[in-house]
Amino acid sequence: MEENRKYESYLKRTHFFGRILTTVVLLLLLAAPFVIGLYLKAMPDIPAAMKAFLGVGLVYLVSGIVEYLIYVPMLGAGGSYLAFITGNLINMKIPCAINARDIVGVKSGTPENEIISTLSIATSSLVTILVLALGVVLMIPLQPVLQSPTLQPAFENVVPALFGAMACKYYRADKKVALVVLAVMTLLFTLVPSLIGSTSMMVIPSGALAIALSYMSFRKKKAQEGGQK
Amino acid sequence: MELLSKLNSPVLYLICGGIVLFVAVICVVFAVRAYRMGKAMGIDVGKMKRVITASATFAVLPSVGILLGVIALSGSLGTPWPWLRLSVIGALHYETQVAEAAAEAAGTGGLSIANMTPGAFTTIAFLMSFCIIWGMVLMIFNGKTYTKKLQAPQEKKEKKEGKKKGLDLAGFGDTAMTAMFIGLVSAYIASYIGTIISGSGVFTFTGSWLPLAVAVVSALAMAVFIKLKEKFGAEWLDSFSVAGSMLVAMTAAIFLGKLV
Repeated sequence: MEENRKYESYLKRTHFFGRILTTVVLLLLLAAPFVIGLYLKAMPDIPAAMKAFLGVGLVYLVSGIVEYLIYVPMLGAGGSYLAFITGNLINMKIPCAINARDIVGVKSGTPENEIISTLSIATSSLVTILVLALGVVLMIPLQPVLQSPTLQPAFENVVPALFGAMACKYYRADKKVALVVLAVMTLLFTLVPSLIGSTSMMVIPSGALAIALSYMSFRKKKAQEGGQK
Repeated sequence: MELLSKLNSPVLYLICGGIVLFVAVICVVFAVRAYRMGKAMGIDVGKMKRVITASATFAVLPSVGILLGVIALSGSLGTPWPWLRLSVIGALHYETQVAEAAAEAAGTGGLSIANMTPGAFTTIAFLMSFCIIWGMVLMIFNGKTYTKKLQAPQEKKEKKEGKKKGLDLAGFGDTAMTAMFIGLVSAYIASYIGTIISGSGVFTFTGSWLPLAVAVVSALAMAVFIKLKEKFGAEWLDSFSVAGSMLVAMTAAIFLGKLV
């Protein structure tokens, strides 16, 4: 009984601190570009940012909601507050927390899971912060090398480099959908080259087409499964 | 270049480092509270120590992968800002896409230090911060209610009608996420192909082929990573595959750039 009461009060305080600290971090992150703006004497262009948000940001609004719904049950309260503050969920926090849970053998939704996943996510976040801080300190003497004109083509092509890697990763999941969407979008950009300058806006029709095609094949698969039963 | 040295100035290190430090303190506070509570609940201290050690070792490799991401972005955004973004909340694929979209909207034509202006940088920084706040917002306003609901007895949940339909939709949720990324990637790859064919006038075939070539090299490098992972069961390679492929392709861009 006493233990239960202690745990309840622990959870209550976790939510209390979690909410306050998440709000503070959120405000700090949103304020930072304006503080940097004071130093650079140039404030963010909000209308331009909102235009870009409509293109690429909506994707992350949806994926943010999906991540929240899926991962909170796995991580518990404390782990979720930390994970959403520190990010890198799919590539680190989730597998790390699952690994920790497997090591000690606890189940989702239990008080033990709450403790273990908070410990796991806090530790992994601290390691990332430490590794990055060390790396950044070591990078300072390398700054002139990184800024040399010889290396500029490398940094100017960071975006194509990202999309190439991602194409290989995601196209494998559904080659048919990928091929159709790529063909349609290529045709569009070839016939109306002025659209190339606003590729981030073209993500909307491209994404909608991919989702529609995937939904059709998903329904077809479900219907076939139903037929077999 | 002058802007890049400003983006790497001590002031920016101070602003970004301050926030990183604050987040580190939050992690320590949460870890200490959880450890004490675990002890009070009677969880074996040895088990908790094993969780800490395992999580720390687990995190080292992905963290090095994330550091490579900081290096990849440092040429166009300076070091402190990508350091903050990737230490707190961010993920490499997210940051690069959003930065590119913001750069486009801010009128620099793309993510490149050559055309970067202070205004474009702050706009990019703002959008990078803004687009990924949703998990935090939901935790602030709904986290308590949602986690409480999850603690409700299992039987109640199972009795709820429409559960099967819900599961079906959840099944499509994963597929939809993948489809969304396929759409996103396709828009960009198609724009590189469109650039070659019609970039300097419809069907002139004289546009720059460098972005497409870099994307192809990156995709090939990624394919090698995936093959190696599958062949040797090296799951840890996943932590490096995206950043590693990007660095291979970016190195190739230096040599391919000379041919353009």
